[in-house]
Amino acid sequence: MNDDVSQFDLFMEGEKNMALDYRKCAEEIAANIGGGSNVISAAHCATRLRLVIADNGKVNKAALENVDGVKGMFESNGQLQLIIGTGTVNKVYDEFLSVTGASAASKADVKAAAASRMPLWKKILKTPGDVFVPILPAIVASGLMMGLVEALAKAIPSFAESGWFGFLDLVANTAFALLPILVAVSAARVFGGNIFLGGVIGMMMVHPGLMNAWTVSPTNQPAVWNLGIFKISQVGYQGHVIPVILAVLLMSTVEKWLHKKVPEMIDLFVTPLCTVLITAFATFVVIGPIFSILENWVLKGAEWLVTSTGGIGALIMGALYPWTVVMGLHHMYNVIEAGMLSGALGLNIWMPIASAANFAQFGACLAVAIKCRNAKLKSVALPSSLSASLGITEPAIFGVNFRFMKPFIAGVIGGAVGALFGSLTGLGATTYGVTGIPGLLAINNVPIYCIELLIAAGVAFVITSVIWKEEQPAVAPAAAAPAAAAPAIEAPTVSVIRCANGTVLQPVKGNVIPYDKIPDDTFASGVLGVGVGVEPTDETVVAPFDGEISSVAESKHAVGVSANDMELLIHVGVDTVNMNGDGFTCLVKEGDKVKAGQPLIRFSRAKIKAAGYSDTVAVLLTNSDDLEGVEIGAK
Amino acid sequence: MKSFEYVITDPVGIHARPAGILVKEIKKYASTVTVAKGEKSVNALKLMALMGMGIKQGDTVKVTVDGADEDTAFAAIQDFFKNNF
Repeated sequence: MNDDVSQFDLFMEGEKNMALDYRKCAEEIAANIGGGSNVISAAHCATRLRLVIADNGKVNKAALENVDGVKGMFESNGQLQLIIGTGTVNKVYDEFLSVTGASAASKADVKAAAASRMPLWKKILKTPGDVFVPILPAIVASGLMMGLVEALAKAIPSFAESGWFGFLDLVANTAFALLPILVAVSAARVFGGNIFLGGVIGMMMVHPGLMNAWTVSPTNQPAVWNLGIFKISQVGYQGHVIPVILAVLLMSTVEKWLHKKVPEMIDLFVTPLCTVLITAFATFVVIGPIFSILENWVLKGAEWLVTSTGGIGALIMGALYPWTVVMGLHHMYNVIEAGMLSGALGLNIWMPIASAANFAQFGACLAVAIKCRNAKLKSVALPSSLSASLGITEPAIFGVNFRFMKPFIAGVIGGAVGALFGSLTGLGATTYGVTGIPGLLAINNVPIYCIELLIAAGVAFVITSVIWKEEQPAVAPAAAAPAAAAPAIEAPTVSVIRCANGTVLQPVKGNVIPYDKIPDDTFASGVLGVGVGVEPTDETVVAPFDGEISSVAESKHAVGVSANDMELLIHVGVDTVNMNGDGFTCLVKEGDKVKAGQPLIRFSRAKIKAAGYSDTVAVLLTNSDDLEGVEIGAK
Repeated sequence: MKSFEYVITDPVGIHARPAGILVKEIKKYASTVTVAKGEKSVNALKLMALMGMGIKQGDTVKVTVDGADEDTAFAAIQDFFKNNF
């Protein structure tokens, strides 16, 4: 589950390769991956060419690494990723498409193609990582700064009262205080929703009009809005992750569904309005209460475990703690700590458990940072582990440990062992809110505390080093490849021409216009029959019905399909015959039987544009004069 | 039945648009028009079939007009080829 760190590439690989021959680079890449026929899909991000390969056996990795322009390569999540660099990768990508005839796919398509090879449980585990990786720069920076600022404040009391602390603390904790917004935006991107609507959902969940979740305590309870049928507790979701991801997943699903159902004319205001409203209700009425019940259980359970069962309770809590961080439930532990300090014991025995758990995640993350060969992963894991050592574990958990799972489990074990030791040796803190290294300033026994941290981190470090290996996803695809090589054909859902003899489905994605609006006199005059034009947003023409290929233009830009006396011409672009096939790949030949949805032609919009022609696809029923009840327009 | 041979001079050959115009032209007449290149011949009313011939610049085609109004149609279609292909 070696996922992308593309956001890092942006500033890690800013330099451009000025003298690179893009065409040559693309040709060499194609030659070393078994040619265009071995490519299921291709996409690029800011720096990388991302390919889903049918047969990994045909990939010559050693040769690929030596291709001029390829700075590195790795395989992850069923994708072959070639690092090419900012500003260069898009040019190599364009050439790659024309060299291989592969169709352009968005990054999401490639990820989906790769993800479809993954079992469900892995997909679920992968989601928080996918959401977190893009926002890591923000939270790694904030985590480190927050750890340092808080440690300084503990060490130098006068600093804690200075304006410096106030300001630095504000800067440091911004990303964490408003974390749901970052999570929501990123999750919307992962789930394919509108990122701004996602942002709205995130902002709503930490709206200043709601009580800050961090300030809730038994004596300070949020007010309630009574809506008759249900009640909404006026409390925010500060520090939460999973409820935000769930809310945005729901939002994206609703939004995509509405986009399909709502007529285009009113789509712009109806869809966002309904999406936000439905999501808001579902979030505050269903998702929120479930989590607040869960929180209460965790809180009560945790308190009971630690105060009533001694060492065993500490052991269990040390193991459970990181899971509660994943769930975003850890923010209310301050309540337990405050309760302990004001209680009979007057000592915070919760803190050593939290510290052991956090420090174990540091140990596991450090092991990954040291063991991994992938430079990008190293560049994430190292600062994340530092932040964890200061008690801010989110970057390490979400960015590294939980993504690979094994380091996380190693951290769980280390945390449990450390917490048991801390409990047996009677460790406790005299204040609350700090763990890890800054905890040294709050602990009642510094040497024992150091030993506890070493045990926790040491156990996690050793276990991670032994059981975690940098994943080579090439192992599995051997079995999965045949299935992926023959993707299921999906018929388009929109029809563009209807007549007594049958229905013509939309053969290419894009905006449908009547034939008389096609920017060409001949097509627009209807002399070739009536039909529609499609202003394409995609680059693949698919069969509009089950039928037979009646003709294929020599220059590969037009194809005739017939069935049940319907003679349909699909002509890609205007005057594109002059391109002599450059930028077009025809996937069928005359006489082929095709199924609706089967790809017929792939074309490069960029090339058509470069040649100075319109890329409008004419879809014309050439014998419309002989057919009855012909009706055009998208439906 | 009358026929003529013609060497295509249009750089893109008998492609979708000119073929479509040809079909319209032929529809004005009752006669059947066949276009043959080498062994292959098609009814020129069938746009798809016509395009599928892949007739290019320099190819020689044999055009046959057969029917009640073949005389007028022949002249018109011969002119049409000269003007368009």
